[in-house]
Amino acid sequence: MNSNAAISVDHISKSYGSFRAVDDLSFEVYRGEIFAMLGPNGAGKSTTMRMILDILKPDTGQITVLGGPLTESTKDRIGYLPEERGLYRNVRVLEMMVYLGTLKGMSRANAQQSSLALLERLGMADQAKKKVSELSKGMQQKIQFGVTVLHQPDLIIIDEPFSGLDPVNSLVLKDLLFDFKNRGGTIVMSTHQMAQVEEMCDRLLMINRGQQKLYGAVETIRQQYALHAVIVEGQGQWASLPGVSKVEPLQNGRKAVLLHLEPQATADHILAAIAASPDMHIERFEMAVPDLNDIFIRVVEGAQA
Amino acid sequence: MNKTLLVAQREYLFNLKRRSFLFAVFGVPVFTFVVWAVVFVVMSDSDNTLGANMTYGYVDQSGILADPVTVSDAPQSFEPYADETSARAALDEKIIGAYFLLPENYLRTGEVQSYSYDSLPQVLQDAFKSFLLANLSRGVETDFPVDRIQQPVTLTIHPLDSGRTLTEANLPALVFIPLIFSFVFLMSSNVTSGFLMGGIVEERSNRIMEILVTSITPTQLLMGKILGLGVLGLTQLVVWGGAGLILINVGQQFPFLNGISFPLDLMVVFVIFFLVSYFLLASLMAGIGAVVGSEQESRQFASLISLILVIPFFFLTTFINNPNSNLALALSFIPFTSPITILLRMGFGSVPFWQIAVSLLILLVTTLFVIWASARVFRWGLLLYGKRIGIRQLIRVIWSSPEMGVSHSGSARGNE
Repeated sequence: MNSNAAISVDHISKSYGSFRAVDDLSFEVYRGEIFAMLGPNGAGKSTTMRMILDILKPDTGQITVLGGPLTESTKDRIGYLPEERGLYRNVRVLEMMVYLGTLKGMSRANAQQSSLALLERLGMADQAKKKVSELSKGMQQKIQFGVTVLHQPDLIIIDEPFSGLDPVNSLVLKDLLFDFKNRGGTIVMSTHQMAQVEEMCDRLLMINRGQQKLYGAVETIRQQYALHAVIVEGQGQWASLPGVSKVEPLQNGRKAVLLHLEPQATADHILAAIAASPDMHIERFEMAVPDLNDIFIRVVEGAQA
Repeated sequence: MNKTLLVAQREYLFNLKRRSFLFAVFGVPVFTFVVWAVVFVVMSDSDNTLGANMTYGYVDQSGILADPVTVSDAPQSFEPYADETSARAALDEKIIGAYFLLPENYLRTGEVQSYSYDSLPQVLQDAFKSFLLANLSRGVETDFPVDRIQQPVTLTIHPLDSGRTLTEANLPALVFIPLIFSFVFLMSSNVTSGFLMGGIVEERSNRIMEILVTSITPTQLLMGKILGLGVLGLTQLVVWGGAGLILINVGQQFPFLNGISFPLDLMVVFVIFFLVSYFLLASLMAGIGAVVGSEQESRQFASLISLILVIPFFFLTTFINNPNSNLALALSFIPFTSPITILLRMGFGSVPFWQIAVSLLILLVTTLFVIWASARVFRWGLLLYGKRIGIRQLIRVIWSSPEMGVSHSGSARGNE
């Protein structure tokens, strides 16, 4: 086991009756990274998170969290944002935050102080005395995330943190997440928004039907799925270039086309050839590395085909 | 601080501030004060209109009141009238409030007519009866005081196995005390265990439960809640006890309430039964709260349980007439009906010690079982939302104590 691992999951499986929700899954989450868990609905993401949090026990396999099996004191070092959100409704914001903070082992004074500081950061200082039910939905979501990090945990596990957030609040949340990471915190998040994964996450695990489909650094995986092709945009008879086997218009590019290369050709050759040819002009030239969305769709559809 | 105590503290403070609790604690005693005050005013008022400070007439055709003696300390005075016409005229002019007519054959039949515009109050009837009795007894050769003929028995009852002394003066109080105790018992255990269930249902439907169970264990949560709300129930009792003491002191002013006191043995039994059945109700409600789908559904269960608790009230007259009947005995041993049955029986008569002991033992064993079973159901049901749960499934859960159940968001759903 890697001593640098915040979470180490070792061959876990979980079934509900005859339904195998998680099937022999192994992975590690390193300290200080943002780790994405991807997969279609019902793939087993939430079940895996709940097993890490000891809400559920795996049928087989082992999980180590922050250096050992999950104990009472480990729980105090973890923050959890469940997929289904909820807060007390008829309670004042500050009162609720302090209560949930103390349940994570904070002293009352400390919880009070941290809650006020956090509300300040969220731009909600003047809402502290309001009842939760009086807050707008966006505010409630910010409070919800606030509760997750209030007790300054080492690790947070957040299930679909961006779902339902408007763009402005998404930015606020993103800032908070990076801030948490920069202070050495580890983040495990599940999401459907691939753009967020590409932008924020260091490594990812993609599961489908409880099984591991992709696992590793985000960049490495994108490279793995890279086509032997380049994307160009500009003017020229692309098909006449040496080493190009096929020209394919890009689905959502304006004038961009995808140039499939012959096995021995490289992107450098193509670029050199374009540069050498006076009747060709390029405005854009890049490796045809698919975005995660494409990979996601390819993996899921591949599994269903 | 210990996390169980944190939960207890939160539950206590949160529910203490609730409007429904404040109403139950302060509204009920105030309401009771007001009702009693109204009753006293009405009662003394009816005494005044046709009672004291009023003159009444009589027309004696039998002759026994020819030379009447009057009852010395009676507030009412009775004036003779020669015939009905003059008596009727005095009544119409409101000189007298009413008049009585003793016909010629009164001594043989005992028949007396009364005429009045208002209804004839009991005090006046009693006063006229005493007046007649005082005059009739003159015809009997006796050295006995007239008072003894009027009231031959002033009974003081000594049920030897309870050690309590019951006098006629405190008999009305006697009926009240067990009723008050039972009422307090019901109110306070119902309010607090209802809060307990409502809180759990809310935390489940708000989904905050999932955050709670990653901070504390279900057992800590359950015990914290039961503890916090138990202290809340005791708070309610203390407030009511204080109000009761004030009421008793005030009540001493009224002859009607003279005898009211809190018998010590009843108090002790009350507190013990209260505590044990609070734990029974609270853990039962917690178990139910952990598996019902909605607030509405939980209220149905709560009222069903209250209904079982008040069964003894349906047999109130049976208990008063015969506190040791077979029915009373049976209800004393059934866990949910036993606390109130025992309290009522103790008030109305005496309950042998062994019966109290057996009743308490059965209650205690049931309570321990329910706590144990509810803890399992509680743990299992916390994160299950929107699912109907059958009784057979519950039995399986109690039997085998599976891990926490969860609802799946996945399309492929397991069967449990």
